[in-house]
Amino acid sequence: MEKSNRLYVFLGALVLVGIIFITRLFFLQIIDTSNYYKAQAYGSNEITIYPARGTIVDRYGKLLVYNDASYDLMVVPQKAKDFDKAALCKELMIDTTEFNKRLKKAARYNPREASVIYKNLPFHLYTRLQEVLYQFPAFYIETKIDRRYNINGAAHLLGYMGEVNERELEKDKYYKPGDIKGITGLEKSYETFLRGIKGKKVVLVDKFSKTQGSFAGGKFDSLPTAGENIISSVDLDLQVYGEQLLANKTGSIVAIEPGTGEVLCLINNPNYDPNLLVGQQRNRNFSALLLDPSKPLFNRALKAPYPPGSTFKTVQALIALQEGVLTPATRYPCHGGYHMGSITVGCHPHASPLDLENSIAKSCNAYYCYVYRSVLDNPKYPSVQAAYTQWTKYLNSFGIGVKTGIDLPEESSGIVKKSNYFERVFGKNWRSSNVVSISIGQGEIGLTPLQMANVAAILANRGYYFTPHVIRTIGDKNIVPDDFKKKHYTLIDRRHFDSVIAGMAKVCIPGGTAGRTGITGIEICGKTGTAQNPHGKDHSIFIAFAPRHNPKIAICCIVENGGYGADYAAPIANLLIERYLATDKTAPSSKPEMQKRMLTANLTGAKISASDSLKALANKPK
Amino acid sequence: MEEKIHIDWLSVILYIIIVLFGAMNIYSANSGLDEPLSLDFSKEYGKQVIWISISAIVVFLILLTDYKFFNFSAYGIYVIIIGMLLVLLATGSFNKGAQAWFKIGAFKLQPSEFAKYATALALAKFLGTFDIKFEGKRNQLICFGIILLPMLLTLLQNDTGSALVFTCFILVLFREGLSGWWLVLGFYLITIFVLTILIPSWYILLFLLVVLGAIFYFFRKQKQLVFVSVLIFLASTVYTIGLDFAFSKILKPHQQQRILVTLNQDVDEYYVNKQKGFSFFKFEKKADEKKSESKRDYSYNVRQSKISIGAGRWFGNGFNNGTQTKAKLVPEQHTDFIFCTVGEEWGFVGSTIFLIVYLVFIGRIFFLAERQKNIFSRVFGYCTGSIIFFHFFINIGMAIGVLPVIGIPLPFMSYGGSSLISFSMLLFTFLKLDANRINEISRLY
Ligand SMILES: [Zn+2]
Repeated sequence: MEKSNRLYVFLGALVLVGIIFITRLFFLQIIDTSNYYKAQAYGSNEITIYPARGTIVDRYGKLLVYNDASYDLMVVPQKAKDFDKAALCKELMIDTTEFNKRLKKAARYNPREASVIYKNLPFHLYTRLQEVLYQFPAFYIETKIDRRYNINGAAHLLGYMGEVNERELEKDKYYKPGDIKGITGLEKSYETFLRGIKGKKVVLVDKFSKTQGSFAGGKFDSLPTAGENIISSVDLDLQVYGEQLLANKTGSIVAIEPGTGEVLCLINNPNYDPNLLVGQQRNRNFSALLLDPSKPLFNRALKAPYPPGSTFKTVQALIALQEGVLTPATRYPCHGGYHMGSITVGCHPHASPLDLENSIAKSCNAYYCYVYRSVLDNPKYPSVQAAYTQWTKYLNSFGIGVKTGIDLPEESSGIVKKSNYFERVFGKNWRSSNVVSISIGQGEIGLTPLQMANVAAILANRGYYFTPHVIRTIGDKNIVPDDFKKKHYTLIDRRHFDSVIAGMAKVCIPGGTAGRTGITGIEICGKTGTAQNPHGKDHSIFIAFAPRHNPKIAICCIVENGGYGADYAAPIANLLIERYLATDKTAPSSKPEMQKRMLTANLTGAKISASDSLKALANKPK
Repeated sequence: MEEKIHIDWLSVILYIIIVLFGAMNIYSANSGLDEPLSLDFSKEYGKQVIWISISAIVVFLILLTDYKFFNFSAYGIYVIIIGMLLVLLATGSFNKGAQAWFKIGAFKLQPSEFAKYATALALAKFLGTFDIKFEGKRNQLICFGIILLPMLLTLLQNDTGSALVFTCFILVLFREGLSGWWLVLGFYLITIFVLTILIPSWYILLFLLVVLGAIFYFFRKQKQLVFVSVLIFLASTVYTIGLDFAFSKILKPHQQQRILVTLNQDVDEYYVNKQKGFSFFKFEKKADEKKSESKRDYSYNVRQSKISIGAGRWFGNGFNNGTQTKAKLVPEQHTDFIFCTVGEEWGFVGSTIFLIVYLVFIGRIFFLAERQKNIFSRVFGYCTGSIIFFHFFINIGMAIGVLPVIGIPLPFMSYGGSSLISFSMLLFTFLKLDANRINEISRLY
């Protein structure tokens, strides 16, 4: 080769190198997109911007739950190297061993992702850290929104927030470690509406984890979307008043608007202040509440099945009427009670015989023993067992023995035994006399206060109910879930309600079982109940709705160890009815003495709780 | 006779474009995000402006210098630089640690950068000397000596990258008559060397045996070819097994790892695989933890570099907008990995244009070199082109992950005073010589 031609070897080499490099670049930059996506991940640090959680207001727009900012110190464990640990611990006022423990825990979860290392920084620490935190590039402060409750009760209704657990983290990718979510109550049920959509800010960090500014000009940033605000169905005024009336008593009150199924109040006592379960003291307070023997965390209204006592007579009468074994004119004698063989069900003195209407008004036990036995011994059915099974179907249509479907977690379905339960206890061919106590709402029957309130609503509606719910609407678009707009009909014809209601209308007027508790000017239809309690004084129970025509409120009140239904439950329920129906909520009660007696009554000496009687009930049949 | 200056303006314009583009990318890699455009002399991009100014002065001085000066003082400059390298070595051994620079005030002067320039001058001078022909064995040895001396001294300073650059003078010798077979042989030996390390050596032997068999089959008649093939095969076998033995048994683990790292190998994985499969020589020691740390650093650089470049996509993030660049995720991004910034901020289109401009620039130098009428200028021109080409090839090949990690700067682009000034000297000395080639002719004839 002529030596001067060797120039072309050089130029050829240049072209060859050019082709190789450009081809390689084409592969790196255009074909292989993995580098591009890796670039998004490297060098960027995603900071979550928490949306404001939806607020909750009562049915009249009064604020129940709102938000307050809290600050967490976050750490990216992998980057937490070569920093002055002692200095940071001094700033945080915690000792190094504790700090190391937390750091290790964070690293165990995910060394590359941020975890909380100091929850709920007190405000003075927050301001101080903002000045010094630049020295600790692996750490940053994340602002979170804390819940605040405008009421120191209603805890079982509103619920509380808590940290997501590992199982939830896996299940729902929305959450990151350290996030809080609704654990019970409304906060849990409407979590997905309340929580909103998280925003993020992607910042560029250099290899020293120092923030260099917004990543890619903010292209990947997103603003958070605030959670939906919820209008609760609760009447804050009624709720607070009810809690005052139930103070120093153990029990539960549930009030429902019959025409909608909206829960107007949901009261338990013992109760607790929901603000206790917010902020730095949360865990300490929570364990204290958990260990409290009075069980303030226990949601009686939804979870405690009580024997309904005489309030159950309304249901018994309706079923018997529908079955055709009872007419409003049917009379049964009562001579101090019901006697049959060895069985005696006692009754208080009253005129005899009574018709249906007056059997409700006077709450005759004997009458309902006849009624229930006529239902079970109905020749229409081949056996008592078949009649009983049919009877349970009626109950289920009342929302008894099944969950009402309320929009709050952990509802109990109460106690309705199946026929074969009695076969085990009394033998295959058990008779109606075996279960005669159920006639009057004792024995193998249990209703939660919510179910009893729902029964009151069914009575008010003359035959149907809406699934009880604690919200009116969700969000700006005023969404109401379709489930809540659906009427659930019982298996009872509307016409059968008249005589029962006529009887209930007599209960709160002189001559009725709660004759002294009535409210002037309001036609209250009620039914007292007294649930026998093998461990102590009877439970005082009352269900009612008012006004008789076009009812606005249906209510159930249970006062444990309160004695007769007329002693506590009826006065409290009637005072609440009065308050709810009053146009001027500040107007004094027409029954100031009764009101004062209820507000001041202290029954906390009696120690037996609903759960104990529940246990007793479960152990009873041998 | 009046000396006319006919400087090659195309080269000068390309030079200015590349230097300014380099400064832009250094600024991008060096300044923070959202930082207003400013000149901060405490930062590298600020200093680069100073280096560019100094280079401009140097260039101006070179253009003012009589072109005969370079030919005249070539050996002198070579001796001075060799002397400086020796002084560095001596002080280095005193201070128990190799040092590659002299400290002048706040600035560091790296003689190894200038050694290339000096070697180019010396080589050009030797070959350009009247009556000397490259063909003579003795002259060839002298040529290799001129190249090997500074190469060895640089290598002793632990500056492997810069030392390797001296191999580019082989290209110049090739232009001056070195048989192309030497290049082929060199390529063959390097390939076998790399393969021996990467795959079990008996694979290579098996492959060579198959090739030998094929030659036996197809070229039975050509006795001489078969004979030569057998010789080559035997030599290759000895070479391969020798290399394998040397690598596995003679080199210490940290030396093995250094080579593996340079070849982008995962050291731990390599040892595991090597111990599993059949090989002639077993490793006794496993990689020790501390040494494998350094390998992560290297592979980290290359991985980050590829990510940065890949992030550029078609059109890049735009000047001063590279997120990877701004995050300073690629170590040495303003020096050896400056091409990452180009890739990320200017994208495939920008990078391609840049590569083409740069290759045209190098091609222009080779073209100018070939048109020289005297050997000194021609050899110096080829040296200039070869040095820049070698740097370009290794530097960008490393950044895009097709070549081993050898830390050498991209001429005129990478940050660094010694580098920019020495390359500017190299280029403009040649352009000065080129400008005077007319005079040279008139002088000779
Ligand atoms: Zn009676």
